[in-house]
Amino acid sequence: MQQEPWTTGESSAPVRQETVREDAPPVIELRNVDKHFGELHVLKNINLSVKRGEVVVIVGPSGSGKSTLCRTINRLETIDSGDIFIEGRHMPEEGKELSALRSEIGMVFQSFNLFAHKTILDNVTIGPVEVLGRKKKEARAEAMELLKRVGVDSQAGKVPAQLSGGQQQRVAIARSLAMHPKAMLFDEPTSALDPEMINEVLDVMTELARQGMTMVIVTHEMNFARRVADRIIFMADGNIVEENTPEEFFMNPRSDRLKDFLESLNRK
Amino acid sequence: MSEKKPEIPASFENARTKTAGKAAAAPKPLSIRDALYEPPGPKTRKRTAIATGISLSALAVLILLVIRQFYITGQLAPKYWTFFARKTTWKFLGKGLLGTLEAAALAGVLAFVMGFLMMLGRISRRRILRAVGTGIVEFTRGVPTLLFIYFFFLVVPRSGIKLAAIWKIATPVAISAAGVVAEVLRSGVNAVPKGQTEAALSLGMQHGKIFRKIVFPQAFRYITPALIAELVIVVKDTTFSYVVNFPDLMQNAKVLISNYDALVQIYFVTAVVYILINYLLNRISVTVADRTGTTL
Ligand SMILES: Nc1ncnc2c1ncn2[C@@H]1O[C@H](COP(=O)(O)OP(=O)(O)O)[C@@H](O)[C@H]1O
Ligand SMILES: [Mg+2]
Repeated sequence: MQQEPWTTGESSAPVRQETVREDAPPVIELRNVDKHFGELHVLKNINLSVKRGEVVVIVGPSGSGKSTLCRTINRLETIDSGDIFIEGRHMPEEGKELSALRSEIGMVFQSFNLFAHKTILDNVTIGPVEVLGRKKKEARAEAMELLKRVGVDSQAGKVPAQLSGGQQQRVAIARSLAMHPKAMLFDEPTSALDPEMINEVLDVMTELARQGMTMVIVTHEMNFARRVADRIIFMADGNIVEENTPEEFFMNPRSDRLKDFLESLNRK
Repeated sequence: MSEKKPEIPASFENARTKTAGKAAAAPKPLSIRDALYEPPGPKTRKRTAIATGISLSALAVLILLVIRQFYITGQLAPKYWTFFARKTTWKFLGKGLLGTLEAAALAGVLAFVMGFLMMLGRISRRRILRAVGTGIVEFTRGVPTLLFIYFFFLVVPRSGIKLAAIWKIATPVAISAAGVVAEVLRSGVNAVPKGQTEAALSLGMQHGKIFRKIVFPQAFRYITPALIAELVIVVKDTTFSYVVNFPDLMQNAKVLISNYDALVQIYFVTAVVYILINYLLNRISVTVADRTGTTL
């Protein structure tokens, strides 16, 4: 089996830059994507390309279309027009092929969405067993390994409601990782968490970034963004208004919208 | 996978020890009742005790009055009660009880299967199936049970279909309950948060599998109490068995009444048995609800 870069734990590379592969085709590519919710134009001609190993952070005011963009990547939202490619393959609109391609992209939700009737361990094994056809025993062994890595292996036999939010979100990350995804999407993974639990989730994500996982992250945690992002994208009113490296993004914002946005953050 | 693990940041360790303590403090899973209602305070408990006392006294008075009335009208005379000492009486009633349980069980299973299919129609992504499902649900809910029973007793045999008596009662009772079962199932399915489906989709699961593995098991836990409540109605509806000459508890009670001319006494015993059955079902419902409470 192909060895994903993030599974080699010994990497102690700095979080940014070194893991980005310029030569490989982009893992995620959106071309001219448009979407409406009724009258509302939520995504306006979006073009986005994410290279292998790249960490792209999306920021912007509430309602600007960040979640919608994130969700269109694996077609949890339909689009009106445009194209989505995963490693150069066109993302089909429905059917088995869509499911297969979805299984290659991990997704972590704001509200965790762990399967409420299943144990922590079963939450992590259900994907490999039901979708990839892996043997239960193997899947369990690997799941325990992953749970250990995110620090919740001692909770394996419990159900999600018995865990704290931070623990649940770390399990959700492990559940995605169990599918050996080519990329992972995070939609405000820490927004539903109590402040003291935010870091335990961000630490896991930082570790993933360090190990070379390709990631698209919607977040309001600016310090975290500055630390892990290769590129930060600013969205407003359904547009990608500006994108840049973290330094440039925060030090030299070009558009007034971004300047206003950064200022509003400082005021808080 | 590599043997060497990335070192675990301190915050992970904290998280671990924190929950270990939490787990020890909360050995009992949270039940629905615990989650929905605050435990009663001392005032509430006092008020509950007083209300219970008053209700019980009122009930006792009522029972005494009834007994007195029976005494005056002679219903307590030994001749109306001695046949209860005979084994054959209880055997006969027991047979009837067995018939009731059989008919109710069969009707319950049929109602669940039919209700499940109707629910699938109701939630289908195809508009035609949805329309058909809605039509059938409304029809079965709108028509009185007794009409369905007469249909199976009078009309169906004429078309040359010969059904055993138990099917003549269980099928119409089931049809009559199926619409409600379908709606209960549907409300359960709708109560499962959308995020559950989205998480499963993002893992690459397909809709059929998501329904079977994720949505329906959770829906079923939500609605088990409502389904058992519907089973109570099914049990009561089987008392129409006399229409189709199926020997259920009610039918056998009627036979005893005409044999011994003891209407009040036999109906009294029969009612107690029905109350016991349904009380038992309700107990099961509460137990099940408490047991599955952790998943809410
Ligand atoms: N399912 C939906 N139906 C209708 N409007 C929606 C739906 N989801 C989001 N919207 C609207 O689309 C806009 C963008 O939403 P969203 O992508 O969630 O923004 P963000 O994540 O940046 O806060 C908002 O105005 C929101 O109200
Ligand atoms: Mg959002």
